[in-house]
Amino acid sequence: MMKIFSSFGIAVKALLSHKTRTFLASLGVLIGIGSVIVMTAIGKGSQKEVMDIIAGMGENLITINAGEMKRRGGHLRLTGNVTTLTVRDANRIVEEISEVEGAAPFEEKSMIAKFSNNSAETRIAGSTLDFPMIRGYSLQSGEYFSERDSKMANRVAVIGATTVKNIFGEEDPLGQVIKIHFMPFKIIGVFEPKGLDTNGMDQDDVVLIPISTYMRRIVNQTYVTRIFVRVSSRENIVKATGKIQELLRESHRLTDDRNDDFTLISQLDIEELKLETTEIFTKLIVGVAAISLLVGGIGILAVMLISVKERTCEIGIRRSVGATRRDIIRQFLCESLIIGFLGGGLGIVLGIGLTLGLTRWGHWTLILDTNSIWTASWVCAGIGVLFGVFPAIKASKLDPMEALTVE
Amino acid sequence: MALIEMNSICKNYKNIGFETRVLKNVRLHIEEGDYVSIMGPSGAGKSTLMAIMGCLSQPTSGEYILDGQEVGKLNDRKLSRVRNEKIGFVFQAFHLLPGVTALENVTLPLIYARQSPRGIKEKARALLTKVGMEHRLHHTAGQLSGGEQQRVTIARSLINSPRLILADEPTGNLDSKNGRETMQTFDNLVKEGTTIVLITHALEVAQHARRIISIHDGQIVSDSDREEKTEARVL
Repeated sequence: MMKIFSSFGIAVKALLSHKTRTFLASLGVLIGIGSVIVMTAIGKGSQKEVMDIIAGMGENLITINAGEMKRRGGHLRLTGNVTTLTVRDANRIVEEISEVEGAAPFEEKSMIAKFSNNSAETRIAGSTLDFPMIRGYSLQSGEYFSERDSKMANRVAVIGATTVKNIFGEEDPLGQVIKIHFMPFKIIGVFEPKGLDTNGMDQDDVVLIPISTYMRRIVNQTYVTRIFVRVSSRENIVKATGKIQELLRESHRLTDDRNDDFTLISQLDIEELKLETTEIFTKLIVGVAAISLLVGGIGILAVMLISVKERTCEIGIRRSVGATRRDIIRQFLCESLIIGFLGGGLGIVLGIGLTLGLTRWGHWTLILDTNSIWTASWVCAGIGVLFGVFPAIKASKLDPMEALTVE
Repeated sequence: MALIEMNSICKNYKNIGFETRVLKNVRLHIEEGDYVSIMGPSGAGKSTLMAIMGCLSQPTSGEYILDGQEVGKLNDRKLSRVRNEKIGFVFQAFHLLPGVTALENVTLPLIYARQSPRGIKEKARALLTKVGMEHRLHHTAGQLSGGEQQRVTIARSLINSPRLILADEPTGNLDSKNGRETMQTFDNLVKEGTTIVLITHALEVAQHARRIISIHDGQIVSDSDREEKTEARVL
C-alpha cells in the first residue's frame, strides 16, 4: 500500500515537471470523454423530445384506423377503402369498455377555407366532444362546440393557430364566418398551438367541426376512417387494445377466418418505434465515442513511449539507487493512469460545461446522463492502464547500466 | 573478512551473433575500509567491472560475494535491495533527477528502501551540509554547477549508510578545483571508515587511493596491493 502511495507521488512529480506533455497526452482522452458526454446528452435530449411529442399527441392514446395499415415508404398508410368503422363503434367503445375514458371518431380532408378575399388550403376535420381531451388540444379563446351543435349538425368551427394566421392574418377570428365547400361556418373557438406531431405534420393547421356536420354536409358518408381513444391509465393500454379489437371484430361481424378490417396503434407502439430510431442513434454515438477514446488511448501510448525513451537515464538512476523492475512498472503505470484520469476529469468538466452551455444559450434539449459520466470515469482508468502497460514494461526491461550511459 | 570477493568473474555481451568477452576470469578481493582505484584505458572493462560490483548487472559466470552474500545469482528484487542498502553510486555525469531539488535527490534512495527511517529530511540535510551544500537545499539539479551537482550526488550515495561507494570517473566532468574538492571529500570518507572504489583513467586521481588496480583487455594486469605483498615477501 505504502509502495503504491509513493509510486503515485513519484508519478505526480514526474508529470508536474512536464506539464505541457502531460496535458497533450491527456488531450485525446479529454476530447473523447467530453464528446461522449455531450453526445449522450444530445441522444437523451432528443429521446425526451420525441417522447414529449408523443405524449403531446394525447395521453394514453389508442388510434383505431379503418382498414389494414401497411408500411409504405417509411410511413404507415391505410390500404383499401374500408367502410365498416362508424361513429356507433366509437360510442360502443366508450360505453362498453371500462378502461376507456373517451373515444372520438375522426374524419379529415384537405380543403380550401375562405374568408373575405383570403383563402388557404387546410385540414377540415370532424370529430366529437371528446376530441380535445383525447388529443390534448385546449382552447386559447372562444369555446368548443356543444352537444347541441353536434346533434343539430350546426355549421360551427374551432380552428388552429396556423389556420388563423393563414386566413385571418392579424384579425380576430372569433365570430367571423368562413366558407368551406361553399358553406358558411361560424368560428366559435381557437385552439392553443401544439406544434408538429411525430410525423412532422402541423397539428395547428386544422378547422374542426362537429362530426355530424362533416358527415352530412361535407362528405355525405356514414363511416369514419379513424377513432381516437383515451385509456384511463398507461397500464391499461394493452388491456384496452385487446378489448377494443374484440368489440370491433364482433361489431363488424368478422368470422375467425377473416383478418381485422381495422388497425390499432397505441401510444406504446409509437414510442417503441421512435425509441428504435433513437436507439440506433445511441449506438452510433457509442461507436464514435469508442473510436475517439481509442485514439485518446493511443495518444497516451505514444506519449508514454516517448517518455520512456526520453527518461532512460532517469530509469537508470532510479534502478541504481534501488528501484526494482516492479517499482519502475508501477511508476509508469501510475503516470498513465493519472494522465487518463486527468484527461477524463477535464473531459467530464468540458462535457458537462458544453451540455449546460448548449442548453442555456443554444436552446438545445440536452439531458446529462449520470451513468455516462460514471462509465466515462471507469473507461479513463481502463485506458490509462491498458495503454500504459506496454511502455511501463518496456521501461522496466531496460538494463540499468545501459540506461545510465544513454545521453 | 573481505567486503568484496570476486572469483573467476566473466562477462560476455552478445551482439548480433558475436560474443564479446569483456571480463575474463577476474579475481579480486577488497577489504572493508579499503580505498581502491581501478585504472585502465577505455574499453578495458572498467565500467563493466563496476556494474557487476555495483549489482547493476550480473556476471556471465563466476562468483561474487558482497558483504558475505553471494549476489551473482540474485533475482531483480533482491539485487535491487542490495543496491539500495549496501551501495552508493557516484557517476561521472552526476545523474541527478532533473527538475527535482537537491534535498529530494538526496532522499531518492529512501523511496525504494524497505522502510524509510524517521527523520530522513534531517539526515539528508546533514549530509548536504557535510558536503558543503547547505545553501542549495532547494535548488533543482539544473540550477547547480557541475561541482555542486557532484557534491549532491555524493550526499545521495551516503544517505543509506552504504558499505561501499562506487565512483565512476567522479572528476571526469569537473574542473581541477572542483575535482580536488571532490577527491578531498572521498579522502575524508575513507578516514571515517567507508570503503571506496574509484574508477578512473587519470593517474593523479588514482593516486588518492591506497591501492591501485590496473585492468587491461578484461583482465587485471597489476595490483599495487599484491605487488607490495610480493615485495614484502621478497624482502
